[in-house]
Amino acid sequence: MTVPSRAVATLSLRAIRKVLGSNAILKGIDLEVSAGEFVVLVGPSGCGKSTLLRTIAGLETPDEGAITLGGKDVTRAEPRERDIAMVFQSYALYPHLTVRDNLAFGLRLRGESEATVKARVEEVSQMLGLGALLDRYPRDMSGGQRQRVAMGRAIARRPKLFLFDEPLSNLDAALRNQVRVEIKKLHATLDATMIYVTHDQVEAMTLADQLVVLNGGKVEQKGPPLEVYARPASRFVAGFLGSPSMNFADARVSDDGATAVAEGLRAPIDRQRFSGLERGRAVVVGIRPHDVTVRRGESSAQGYRDGAQPAEISVPVDVVEAMGFEAYAHGQVAGAAFVARVEGRPDELPRRGETLALSVEAANVHLFDPETGRSLAESKS
Amino acid sequence: MIARRWLALFATVALLLCTVTAHAQQRSVTLWHAYRGAEQQALEQVLRAFEREHPGVTITSLAVPFDAYASKLEAAIPRGNGPDLFIDAHERLPSYRARNIIESAAPALGQLARTDTGPDLEPLALEAVTSSDGSERYGVPLALKCLALFVDEELWERAGRPSLETVEGIAAARSALPREAYPLVYYGANAYFHAAFLHAFGGQLFDDRRGTYAFTGAAALQSLEYVQRLLRDRVVPAEVDGASVTPYFRSGRAMTVISGPWFVGELGDARRFRVVPLPRVTSTGRALSPLVTVEVAYLARNAHAPALAAELAAYFASPSAARTRALIGRQVVATPSAWSDPALAADRILAPFRRAARDGKLMPTHGNMRLSWEPANQAIRRALRDPAATRVALEQGQHRYDDASRPLPSRRSPLPLQLVLGVLALGLVFRSVQRARDPAFRYAVKQSMPAYAYVTHAVVIVTLLVVLPLVLGAITSLYAGRDGALEYVGAANYWDIITARGGPLFTSGTFYAVLLVTVVWTLANLALHVSIGVALALLLSRPLLKLRALYRVLLIIPWAVPSYVTALAWKGMFHRQTGAINAMLAALGVEPVSWFAQFSTAFTANVATNTWLGFPFMMVVTIGALAAIPKDLYEAAEVDGATPWQQFRHITLPLLKPTLLPSVSMGAVWTFNQFNVIFLVSGGEPDGATEILVTEAYRWAFTRQAQYGYAAAYAVLIFGVLVLGTRLLERLTTPPHARGGAR
Repeated sequence: MTVPSRAVATLSLRAIRKVLGSNAILKGIDLEVSAGEFVVLVGPSGCGKSTLLRTIAGLETPDEGAITLGGKDVTRAEPRERDIAMVFQSYALYPHLTVRDNLAFGLRLRGESEATVKARVEEVSQMLGLGALLDRYPRDMSGGQRQRVAMGRAIARRPKLFLFDEPLSNLDAALRNQVRVEIKKLHATLDATMIYVTHDQVEAMTLADQLVVLNGGKVEQKGPPLEVYARPASRFVAGFLGSPSMNFADARVSDDGATAVAEGLRAPIDRQRFSGLERGRAVVVGIRPHDVTVRRGESSAQGYRDGAQPAEISVPVDVVEAMGFEAYAHGQVAGAAFVARVEGRPDELPRRGETLALSVEAANVHLFDPETGRSLAESKS
Repeated sequence: MIARRWLALFATVALLLCTVTAHAQQRSVTLWHAYRGAEQQALEQVLRAFEREHPGVTITSLAVPFDAYASKLEAAIPRGNGPDLFIDAHERLPSYRARNIIESAAPALGQLARTDTGPDLEPLALEAVTSSDGSERYGVPLALKCLALFVDEELWERAGRPSLETVEGIAAARSALPREAYPLVYYGANAYFHAAFLHAFGGQLFDDRRGTYAFTGAAALQSLEYVQRLLRDRVVPAEVDGASVTPYFRSGRAMTVISGPWFVGELGDARRFRVVPLPRVTSTGRALSPLVTVEVAYLARNAHAPALAAELAAYFASPSAARTRALIGRQVVATPSAWSDPALAADRILAPFRRAARDGKLMPTHGNMRLSWEPANQAIRRALRDPAATRVALEQGQHRYDDASRPLPSRRSPLPLQLVLGVLALGLVFRSVQRARDPAFRYAVKQSMPAYAYVTHAVVIVTLLVVLPLVLGAITSLYAGRDGALEYVGAANYWDIITARGGPLFTSGTFYAVLLVTVVWTLANLALHVSIGVALALLLSRPLLKLRALYRVLLIIPWAVPSYVTALAWKGMFHRQTGAINAMLAALGVEPVSWFAQFSTAFTANVATNTWLGFPFMMVVTIGALAAIPKDLYEAAEVDGATPWQQFRHITLPLLKPTLLPSVSMGAVWTFNQFNVIFLVSGGEPDGATEILVTEAYRWAFTRQAQYGYAAAYAVLIFGVLVLGTRLLERLTTPPHARGGAR
């Protein structure tokens, strides 16, 4: 089923700055969202993602910069002039109105005819399965039902742009997974432009057409989620995406320039990606726990030829967390914590006190500047 | 041995003391009075003189507060613990006789010196204590009280010493006086003062012989028209009440003032003045003749020493005691021979008052006289305000009097009520017994015993303070009677009220008319309280507003000040001559408004006062309720396209409703019963038109001969109206889905 959205709009933000008191919350954000795109803003608490969303909604006014929606400058426009819909974290359902009236609220304010209102409410309630709830009040519904109504209220309006402010954070894990999939479907059905704020990387990864990682009021990296995952532009992005998060260790580029070396670590370097590294340069090596393979029966770093064979990492095991389908072995490499994913039958899992020998492909080794935290890869975006 | 001697001595002394005390008891008199200040001082001096002349006699005098004087006497004398002698005004005589608590004064009067016409007493004073058939005299008249004319010497001289013999002479001073000064100032809207004019036209307020209201007919009309002319010619200022006469005189804006002996104390040394008898009205040739009250020493029934009491009463009226009372107590004594004293004869205040009293008319003594004040006052006020309505005002006065003095409903047998109550009680007992025999119920009661212990004190207190008065009030409403003598009349009070005592249902003063005013009053106030309260709360809830805490405190102050203080302050502000509101209007070039002369302005004044008192409560409630509305609802609405007004209309208002509603219904009850404001600000003016149900009930209970049963029936009806009203409000404003409450 495809429901025509009124006018799918593009959104463009240019150099948005916002200061609250003495705190700069947004420090110059540029963002282009094309029509029908699903953009996820992700970042830790306090990174400014909610403020950015509220600025797009018009609930906050930027101190500098311009917002263009559907080709029209709306930087100073009131929220009601922007024709956008927003789903709040708290849902913000009108407690004194029934579900039906909640859905109809925005339509009635815009002076739609009762016939239109009725048709739209009907349509939305079918789409979201709200039929049985229409005459209930918000206080008589579960969290999941309320969340659905909140989305329905946004959809009924057929806005140019949908904004979601952590809409799933008040749901339990199982429900969250289910609704996440529904939102994805909904996006496909409505073919609408959506901007979605979350601090949950699973939501971010699964929902986004384009992922925008924010940190400290700045865009750290943007791009398709898998690309951001595979080619993190900074140590922050690398650490933020993925669970357990990426291991980092301080190392040096070897004299031949082919490996990054530290105590217990000899990581191969993809020279195409990381060209022009000085020999002996200090780097931060990043390796995801999922990107290592256990080399059984070997225990020391010897006999590997540069580039030809995977380098070795040796990890003295402190703790093993067995999840059933996989396990995480925790230890120390080059003075920093290191986690490795290991597979195998329970009796094959490493034990505390053993030293684990791991290998890693050069393609999965990330190098970052220890000072700036930026990736040392040739920038190609 | 020694011990025994001491014992014997002690016994002897004790015996002696007893004998002496017993002897003294026989020779002691108890006197009750309500005197204060100089009068009390003079009385004590007379009593000491009497004791000196009668060795062995002791007089106990007790100053009883005036408010409860009569009821104390009526309670104490029949039980034998009252005084032997008491002093009170002559108006009470018939009532005291009816209650049989006074004796004939013949033994006392017989001891007085005689003149050729009778005892040495003023004829008018003697008339005051004589029974209507002339057969018997009750009490010894002591002094007379009435009105006289106070003259400001300086103004009088400046006006060219006009004649003070006639009202017209005084009026002629108009042209010679400055504009802000008046030839004659008096409390014109009061029947006690107007009576002097009325008498000059041959009328009277009350026919004492027939016991009927008499402020009707040609004399009444002429007297009012006469005063209207004085007002029109600016001889007399408009809207002077009891309290504003003194400032007029003290500030030199009144050439003459009609007032009583108490006025002397209020003047101090501010002006050089003298007192003369009241002037004549040229056209009738008769003098303005004041109502005269006579102070009487009554001989009480059940006296312990009647002979001594009679002797003391006679002594009071003796020339020497009278002189003391006159010179020290400043009384216009009723003993003619005392006035031969040169000091007294030349007294520049007492002597003119004595002459004024001789021209006066005795205050009527019939029980219904007290019922005629309110109708007469209202008629005078209306007539002076609106000369075209003089006749109507007089008719209304008669009507009001008839209403207040209507025959009481006939006594009924309480049997039907007793039967119903009996059956109900039996049913209750039967049911209790039945339940008590159910072991499950007994067990349940036993189980909850500790719980009962926790609520006992609350139940007892609520029963005593709420339930009991309510039940007693409801029972009282089934009785009727005046002055507290109540008889069971069944539902007759209710019948009288709801049928408007047989008159038209919507004329002024009927239950329905007053109810209508009360309802309009309540609605107007609530609308203002809620709208102002909510508006201010919205302003104060703006996070960007500076000094928010200060404004909050300032705005809550009207609520924190006791309401009667506020009411009196506002009454002052609405005063025609001295009020701040008219001063502000004058600054804007608007003519001063007589706020209490018309229903609309008087009602507005009441509403303004009560709005001032009422909005802070709604504001405080609203501030609390606003804080409880989540901010993101507004943001959601904003994104949904709501303008600020639409946010208020669709979010704020509906979400305030659940909190505001109980406050509104509470406010409705408070306003419906807002006694203080109505009573103190407009006082029901004009003509009782702004009276609401509670103040009307109060009038029946406290200004119309204590018709407690009738007032109680009013109270029960008010209770009923409020119960119905709040239920209705609840039903109207609760959406259907929420009915039945949260279970």
